[in-house]
Amino acid sequence: MPRPVWSGTISFGLVAIPMKLYNAVNRKSVSFNQLDERTMSRIRYRKVSDETGEEVPDENIVKGYEVSKGRYVIVDPDELEPFIPAATRSIELEEFVDLSDIDPVYFDNSYYVAPDGSPKPYVLLARAMEEAGKVAIGRFVMRNKQYTAAIRAVDGHLMMSTLAYGDEVVKPESIDELNGIEDVDVSDREVKMAEALVASLADDFHPEKFHDDYREQVLDLIAKKAAGEEFEVPEPATEKPKIVDLMAALEASVEAAKSARKRHPTGRKTAAKAKKTA
Amino acid sequence: MPARSQSITTEVDGRQLSLSNLDKVLYPSGFTKGEVINYHLRIAPVAVPHLRGRCLTFKRFPNGTELQGFFEKRCPQHRPEWVPVALGPGDRRGGVEYCRIEETAAMVWAGNMAAIELHAPMALAEDLDTPRAVVFDFDPGPSTDIGDCCEIAVEVREILAAVELEGWCKTSGSKGLQLYVPLNTPGATHEGASEFALAVGQVLERQLPKRVTTTMAKAARPGKIFVDWSQNAFHKTTIAPYSLRARPEPTVSTPVGWDEVEACADGDVELRFEADDVLDRVAEHGDLFEPVLTLEQRLPDHTI
Repeated sequence: MPRPVWSGTISFGLVAIPMKLYNAVNRKSVSFNQLDERTMSRIRYRKVSDETGEEVPDENIVKGYEVSKGRYVIVDPDELEPFIPAATRSIELEEFVDLSDIDPVYFDNSYYVAPDGSPKPYVLLARAMEEAGKVAIGRFVMRNKQYTAAIRAVDGHLMMSTLAYGDEVVKPESIDELNGIEDVDVSDREVKMAEALVASLADDFHPEKFHDDYREQVLDLIAKKAAGEEFEVPEPATEKPKIVDLMAALEASVEAAKSARKRHPTGRKTAAKAKKTA
Repeated sequence: MPARSQSITTEVDGRQLSLSNLDKVLYPSGFTKGEVINYHLRIAPVAVPHLRGRCLTFKRFPNGTELQGFFEKRCPQHRPEWVPVALGPGDRRGGVEYCRIEETAAMVWAGNMAAIELHAPMALAEDLDTPRAVVFDFDPGPSTDIGDCCEIAVEVREILAAVELEGWCKTSGSKGLQLYVPLNTPGATHEGASEFALAVGQVLERQLPKRVTTTMAKAARPGKIFVDWSQNAFHKTTIAPYSLRARPEPTVSTPVGWDEVEACADGDVELRFEADDVLDRVAEHGDLFEPVLTLEQRLPDHTI
């Protein structure tokens, strides 16, 4: 049973409709825990000082904003408090727009909007919006963060998507390769051919056709390992490695190391910093 | 100088394995991973017999001996299928599967993992309760050196002779010296070996109270050699004969003859050998530690 992630009211004008939000998309990545191979114990992160390498107690950790390289402004949580948006329990609908006016780049997370209590006001709003073919834009606060959201009616129910802020969307001009792309010359004939190609692959969108093959294979592997089944790691399709004569390879490597030492008799530096002895 | 930083695939006695970063410098002296592997490959004929059949603990230094290495008891999952494992002393969660080194190819593999130090228990994996030897680990305290260890070893040799036992010495490859008394007989126990080593240590402590201690806490006292008898415990390991050590230079835990130990006690030689020296010694003398694997001896029934 999915659990609501937020509850409150949709309000516009004098009407307030009690509702709840449910996640519409479950992200299905496979997550792993990190383990110490030698002891199978879990790997834990510790907060350590970059300078001493020692663990720093929580009470000594403050928030610093790097204003320039190595210069920080320390900001106390109390100073931030007044700016945290009040956790109002309402989505104020501010305007109704056409869905096609919102570029998909703005859509962030999607939620089902469900009635909380009597479904009647909810159903009325959904029907009216579907009739009008309009999408409602509103603002609300969830988990201390202010969001812009678009609410649309689909098959008699409401769905909501949080939207990226205008200044969060990257401008295409900032991508070098896209600069001036509209001035590139192509002939009508070439465009016709490209259009024909697109038309030949035109289809309705069937999301069920597309799978995360990687995730499915990983889950399959985990299931087999958990069941104690031997699992052959599939060989990546590469040609057979070239077998090198070890003696010859080592002689060359040892020779190189020895002559390097002769050139620098005080010793070469290791990957770490070497102590200067001379 | 051609670049050899990438992996090569090679074969050792029909075992295929891939080696990487041969030119990576692992010792401050400039000794590279290629040289570690080269040493492992060439020392294997005498080193492997002392490792074979044992639950080995690797101390690995993938980023060089100047940085902290880590002890690896549990044999890595990514080992080649021909590297066998054996169940050995575990932790609270139960037994641990250790790597075994049974052949030259496994030495090469260990070298490629920068498993510089190979630590071995006194018992074989097939019979964890029966130590194959008693070990005395002479650990020099401040302002003492391997010369003092050699003097104490000569004293121990006399005590051993009195109970008709023979022992063989090797350098620790670090600062100290170790003396092994082969047993190779059924019925030997870790407790018996520990008690015997402690008893010998205490005899010395009475004879030379200013120079010997059997108490770990006093080991740091200047002028004293700590006779570490506790290495004979079930779960303990000791650096294996012919293993490299993670020091500034590639020094090796090197088997030495009693003539050399005596010369060292007299201050005539230093007993410090690097990888190349050890290969030369083995070419000349063979395995000075061979009797430790074969000689059958029994500890006296009642300790001295």
